[in-house]
Amino acid sequence: MRQHRKFLVGGVIIALALGYLVYAGVTQSAVYFVTPGELRAAPVAGKAYRLGGMVVPGTLKWEPQTLALAFSLSDGKATVLVRHRGTPPDLFGEGRGAVVEGRWNRDGYFEASLILAKHSEEYKAPHDPSQAGHKELLKTLKGPQP
Amino acid sequence: MTPEIGAGAVVVALVLAVYGSAAAAAGALTGRPNLVVSAQHAALGVFVLVTGALLLLVHAFLTFDFSIRYVATNTNLGTPFYYRITAVWGALEGSIVLWAWMLALYTLIVVLRHRQDSRELYPWALAVMLGVLAFFLLVMTVPAPVFQRLSPVPPDGRGLNPLLEDTGMITHPVCLYLGFTGFTVPFAFAVAALATGRVGDTWIALTRRWTLIAWYFLSLGLLIGGWWSYHVLGWGGYWAWDPVENAAFMPWLTGTAFLHSVMIQERRRMLKLWNITLVVLTFSLTLFGTFLTRSGVIASVHAFTQGSIGAFFLGILALVVLVSLGLIAWRWDDLRAEGALDSVVSRESAFLLNNVFLVAAAFTVFFGTVFPLLSEAVRGEKVSVGAPFFNLVNLPLFLALIFLMGVGPLIAWRRASLANLKRNFVAPVLLGIITAGVFRLVGTASALTVLTMALTMFTAAAVAVDFVRAVRTRLRAGEGLLGAAGGLLVRHNRRYGGFAVHLGVLVIALGVMGSHAWSVQTEATLKRGEATELAGYKVRFDGLAAREESNHFKVVGTFTVSDGKPDFAVLRPSKKFYPQEQSPIAGVDYRLGLKEDVYLVLGDFARDGSHATIKLQINRLVSWIWIGGLIITLGTILAILPERRRPA
Amino acid sequence: MTRAWRWLIPLSALPVLVLLWYGFKLNPRDIPSPLMGKTAAPFTLTTFEGQPLSLEALRGRVIVINFWASWCHPACYEEAPALERGWQAYRERGVTFVGVDIQDKAEAATKFIQDFKLTFPNALDPQGKVSVDYGVYGVPETFFIDRQGRIRGKHVGAVTDQTIREQVDRLLAEPS
Repeated sequence: MRQHRKFLVGGVIIALALGYLVYAGVTQSAVYFVTPGELRAAPVAGKAYRLGGMVVPGTLKWEPQTLALAFSLSDGKATVLVRHRGTPPDLFGEGRGAVVEGRWNRDGYFEASLILAKHSEEYKAPHDPSQAGHKELLKTLKGPQP
Repeated sequence: MTPEIGAGAVVVALVLAVYGSAAAAAGALTGRPNLVVSAQHAALGVFVLVTGALLLLVHAFLTFDFSIRYVATNTNLGTPFYYRITAVWGALEGSIVLWAWMLALYTLIVVLRHRQDSRELYPWALAVMLGVLAFFLLVMTVPAPVFQRLSPVPPDGRGLNPLLEDTGMITHPVCLYLGFTGFTVPFAFAVAALATGRVGDTWIALTRRWTLIAWYFLSLGLLIGGWWSYHVLGWGGYWAWDPVENAAFMPWLTGTAFLHSVMIQERRRMLKLWNITLVVLTFSLTLFGTFLTRSGVIASVHAFTQGSIGAFFLGILALVVLVSLGLIAWRWDDLRAEGALDSVVSRESAFLLNNVFLVAAAFTVFFGTVFPLLSEAVRGEKVSVGAPFFNLVNLPLFLALIFLMGVGPLIAWRRASLANLKRNFVAPVLLGIITAGVFRLVGTASALTVLTMALTMFTAAAVAVDFVRAVRTRLRAGEGLLGAAGGLLVRHNRRYGGFAVHLGVLVIALGVMGSHAWSVQTEATLKRGEATELAGYKVRFDGLAAREESNHFKVVGTFTVSDGKPDFAVLRPSKKFYPQEQSPIAGVDYRLGLKEDVYLVLGDFARDGSHATIKLQINRLVSWIWIGGLIITLGTILAILPERRRPA
Repeated sequence: MTRAWRWLIPLSALPVLVLLWYGFKLNPRDIPSPLMGKTAAPFTLTTFEGQPLSLEALRGRVIVINFWASWCHPACYEEAPALERGWQAYRERGVTFVGVDIQDKAEAATKFIQDFKLTFPNALDPQGKVSVDYGVYGVPETFFIDRQGRIRGKHVGAVTDQTIREQVDRLLAEPS
């Protein structure tokens, strides 16, 4: 029936358009998961990566005035220097796992546009003896308050 | 004793549910009513037992019964009273209890409402409801038992995830689950229709209100989830295309399609196969969603803990999909259409296109969500697609849907004449074009924004034109304005309820568009007394203070915001330190507005309070999203009212 | 549609189901510890019974170090019986279980040990130096050390009988 053919043609056109959109979407926004070792082995400048590793203790540098954050991620085999502009998210710190999204910069570091951190429900965190405890903040944050 | 009683109740409920499902099915096959009655009693028994188990759990939470592992993991002595109740569904095991309880409640309501309705369909529907219920009770017994003991009893618990200590978290899971479980009912009746061969309209007419209510709660759940994300998580967004979010969005898309396509079956007796397939798909997607969020198959920032539960959900998903599709194949001949589409330019065609686009959107969301699995299976590479993919592919589909929202309700059935098209659409099309022109003139650069505004105006105008014309007809017949308008709403409540919901969706669309196109943000580190500026707002850092709360420690920053006039607002974003958490949780502060929200997050700060790093956002039109949700609520209430007269 | 073709409908769902099942076989990339394979930091502590506890003295045995605290509920409460069971099962086979209690009060810790009837050596880490050396960020965390003194496994959260068995058997199977 002619009607049926019209609908069939319409359906095929929609399917093709959709297929094209999906293809374009995938190629544009595909993000490749890599470990520091894999990235170091074959970095491609400009490609979107998601890099996961452990923040190496002692490498975290945070400049509040310029909002510059730098740290190294490691998987035990290789280390990658990461730079990010902006405050680190709350679930982020040295000696902990982190996942960053961004691109590899030709100058030899990873430019992170996004820092993701995984929240574990498994255990409790200890009070950190090296940093001033929370009780201290009650004292140090006194001062002229509005 | 409590854990043992609770666990025992669950096991007995499981046995009863299995028995009830079998009895109802046997009653349907043999036609013996006393089997069905027995199944009804079993359903009542299950409801009582599951309610009892839920109440025991709530009681355990309220009395700090740390002998139960689930209580010890999700609360501690400092957890405030109301959050102790909501903590019941705060993690995996408890969420299954809530799901099972809702399912038991719905089953009971189906028994009470429908046992006289259809002697043929009802027993099968009951069998399916009890069967699904049995599955969830099985999950509560084997992989995710909620009444596990902990011995010796710890003196304190771990505590609730601080992100869940929020009003959004009280209501969001409840609404979502009411939506998810609600779709079990149309599914059950669809299976009944397939089993008995009565694939006509009966099963649809019986379940129309169920579908609407389930759809509404799912919509509400998604909106509350967006609200929670916006005001708690501190990234200033409400939707991230995260797998967990997508898991709830997919059944919403197919559920919306189903809601519309049943109207065609009602009027034209067409699309029987399509409707049955859609409801099976929607229900399967609700199971898939639960599978996704609890199995650890797709990595997500919200991933729950893993375990064997994933295997259970995959099992039921496979069972449901294969059996349902098998039934469809079996009844294939009965499902073939009686009517055919007369013309491309018709209401049936518009509704069909609406369905095609919604299902296409669901498919692309599904594809994008499982893409990491696919790419690893096929190419061995772990790749994911992020928000850009979903936005790129879904945007044209959503714009087309906005257009169809305007066309569908007004275009004629069967074949729209040129006169009909002119009458209904000339004014809206003109208004749409004028709107596009206006925005271009005003300097809107983005073609996308202009297109969205034009389409929105077209649809709003189409709805308005129809309503105004109908009111005018009544006015001419001698009624007063209020009577005319009110009378219309009451007598054609389904139609105008639907219109109102569409308007709500338009408002949400505008909110989404505005927030994406026109929001701005900045980050700055401020010394005390220093200020930063953005979009006409000046934000000055006044100081930091520290405070102890019942179960956490809080550092609050005070910021004065002025917008030309001084003292527009004082915002107090905070950082909350919970002893059980590895790091602080941000407390966002904001000033909501119709046009824009001022949104402030406290990042890093100096221990002596001398400086603080903040993220400041001016988010435009976000409030429209919540307002749209309110309009949808009103529209749904209108649509669900009992009809004053049967439609012709 | 002929009678046979219609059965393709349910079959068409199989590829998706298989794909989802395949997802189980994959491990979402675990973030590895940079300490893996490195020599375990030596320490000397005093057990709650007053005996010295030195890591070096245990060289040549497979060692399971468990970091815990009495205030860590419920996870530490869940795993304590499993650790004791593991100790009883493996002590004659060249494996030593060691518990390091961090940021805790001696009385609460002693009560914990008594409640669970733990018989393997447990010691307080008073300055937290050991936990810092091992990159411990929360409790409980359990480390598995081979006979050459290298860290070969780390488990975060409550450890189970199965995990203990798998990790220890693996290390016992290696040549000395």
